Amino acid sequence: MAGPARLLSTGELTRSKGRFGAVVAALALIVFLVLVLGALADGLFYGATGAVRSSNATAYAFSDDAEGSLIRSRLDESDVAAFAAAPGVEAAGPIGVLLTGGEGPSGEVDLAVFGLDVGGPGTPTTLVEGRLPDPGETGVAAVDTRLEDEGVTLGSQVSVGEVSVEVVGFVSDTAYQLQPTVWTSVADWRAMRDAVRPELRGQPTSINAVALVTESGASLADIAAAKPGTTVLTADEVGLAIPGVAQQKSTLNSIIYTTVAVATLVVALFFALLVLEKRELFAALKALGTSTGALGRAVFVQAIVATVLGIVLGTIVARLFGLIIPSTVPTLFRTDTLIQIAIFTLVAGVIGAAFSLRRIARIDPATAIGGTL
Amino acid sequence: MNDPVVDATSSTPDGPGPSPSQDAAGHPGALLRVENVSKVYGSGHTAVTALDDATMSVDQGEFVALLGPSGSGKTTLISIIGGLLSASSGSVHIGNVDVTTLGGKERTKFRAERVGFVFQSANLVPFLTARENLLYVATLVKTPKKAASQRADQLLEELGLAGRAKNLPEQLSGGERQRVAIGRALMNDPDLVLVDEPTAALDTALGRQVVQLLRREIKDRGKTGIMVTHDLRMVEYTDRVFEILDGHLTHVESPSALGH
Repeated sequence: MAGPARLLSTGELTRSKGRFGAVVAALALIVFLVLVLGALADGLFYGATGAVRSSNATAYAFSDDAEGSLIRSRLDESDVAAFAAAPGVEAAGPIGVLLTGGEGPSGEVDLAVFGLDVGGPGTPTTLVEGRLPDPGETGVAAVDTRLEDEGVTLGSQVSVGEVSVEVVGFVSDTAYQLQPTVWTSVADWRAMRDAVRPELRGQPTSINAVALVTESGASLADIAAAKPGTTVLTADEVGLAIPGVAQQKSTLNSIIYTTVAVATLVVALFFALLVLEKRELFAALKALGTSTGALGRAVFVQAIVATVLGIVLGTIVARLFGLIIPSTVPTLFRTDTLIQIAIFTLVAGVIGAAFSLRRIARIDPATAIGGTL
Repeated sequence: MNDPVVDATSSTPDGPGPSPSQDAAGHPGALLRVENVSKVYGSGHTAVTALDDATMSVDQGEFVALLGPSGSGKTTLISIIGGLLSASSGSVHIGNVDVTTLGGKERTKFRAERVGFVFQSANLVPFLTARENLLYVATLVKTPKKAASQRADQLLEELGLAGRAKNLPEQLSGGERQRVAIGRALMNDPDLVLVDEPTAALDTALGRQVVQLLRREIKDRGKTGIMVTHDLRMVEYTDRVFEILDGHLTHVESPSALGH
């Protein structure tokens, strides 16, 4: 048995396709915009933080003046032992980072070279092809899959200055500051650093940071105490401390939330107009014995259907748009972001429709009689 | 009364009939009993009395007219009878239910189950077909789908609309729309059918057809009907005419006494 709300909502949805098409299109545009912004936010965030998120390290130790930046931090290889002995630390390993231009098989590439004890703390966990360098092995590297776009294959040589390494494996989602990473030994990293940064040549034991694998519940402050003048941050904090990441994230999120608020407004205005236009009809339906609740439910069903259609349509358009975005624009369409945005939009639609409830409740059935004469 | 203005309510060649309250005494078992109903809007010296001490009775199976010029209070009276408006004082019994004592939700339910309305401008749901407009009111009282479908088809057939069942209101003529509205009013088998100026939007010939049809449907089913009108030409299809002027029910006439 169809209730009055179902009959009203489906009747209007199927026979007033034009007007509902308009609101669906408006919502689809909003969803499209939000999804593209979300993809951009995710692309920037995941592209900037991959090297930290995809590593097996749970925390990193920095020099105090580094403010959580791997690049700015300066430690010495001798510090590794101090951290390894600290309470709550399972393992510690050196990390050296170099952002630089290099040479691939198809020409120049931007690179982020990570020097570490491969296999120890800080090693990527996302090997997709080939192998990681063995402990102590030099002259070889695992590289980020983004370098495949630059013509790099297994066996390719990637060089910085005159220092070359052979690619023996690919790891995914390990970009750092939007640059593809090269994972190699501390010795190879230092040779590359010395090649492009002659001013650092006199520091044969310097590293940037110490990657840590900590026990759950370990106190980071206690660990930092093992070596005065250092700070220990979790991997998540390190991601957000990368220059620009936190700012990009909050800026793009503000735009996304504002746009979703606009969706609420669109739905609210649409149904306010629709209810205004149907005052006379709603008065008559109330006179016939329709409850305010049934009329309200009909509006909610319509709002949900229109919003869901808008979400589906907007998602399809956004994904198609994703296919034509040049690969130089960092975008990432993630399912969890999509679900989050879909839920936000649906809630926005329901809230928008709720504004019409009071208007419906105020319609007096007595106005159905008399009236024009 | 030395009033030289002759309007619909005073054209009574055979002299005025009894007052509605005298008449009511002669209808002890009436289906509709309106007793001393008043409606006052506002309070203090801004108070406006729209309806003053109205008493009337209508038997089951009767089709009566409520005749009065615009502003006479006929809309107020019919709205109170139909449970759309609360009375300031007095009582309205339909069968054994006093409509004036019902709460908001009870009144909504009461209207859906026991009162049928035909509005001035049919006021059909524009995005539902003729048949769906009938089925709509059936959903208000939770009629099983199959029974509702059968009844809708039967009513449309009787009203000469079988071929128009799947048309939307905008595809129907004014007369057809008003016929659908009559079907909708009868759909839930109400005790009382209230009709508000059904011919307002129609020409005379079409208006007569609609009122004739209304009378037939109400009479055949043994329903009780009240038609609000200011059109003297339409009262000949009713059993009795209640005249109302300035908020007072003045007298009850037979239609022939008012006829030309």
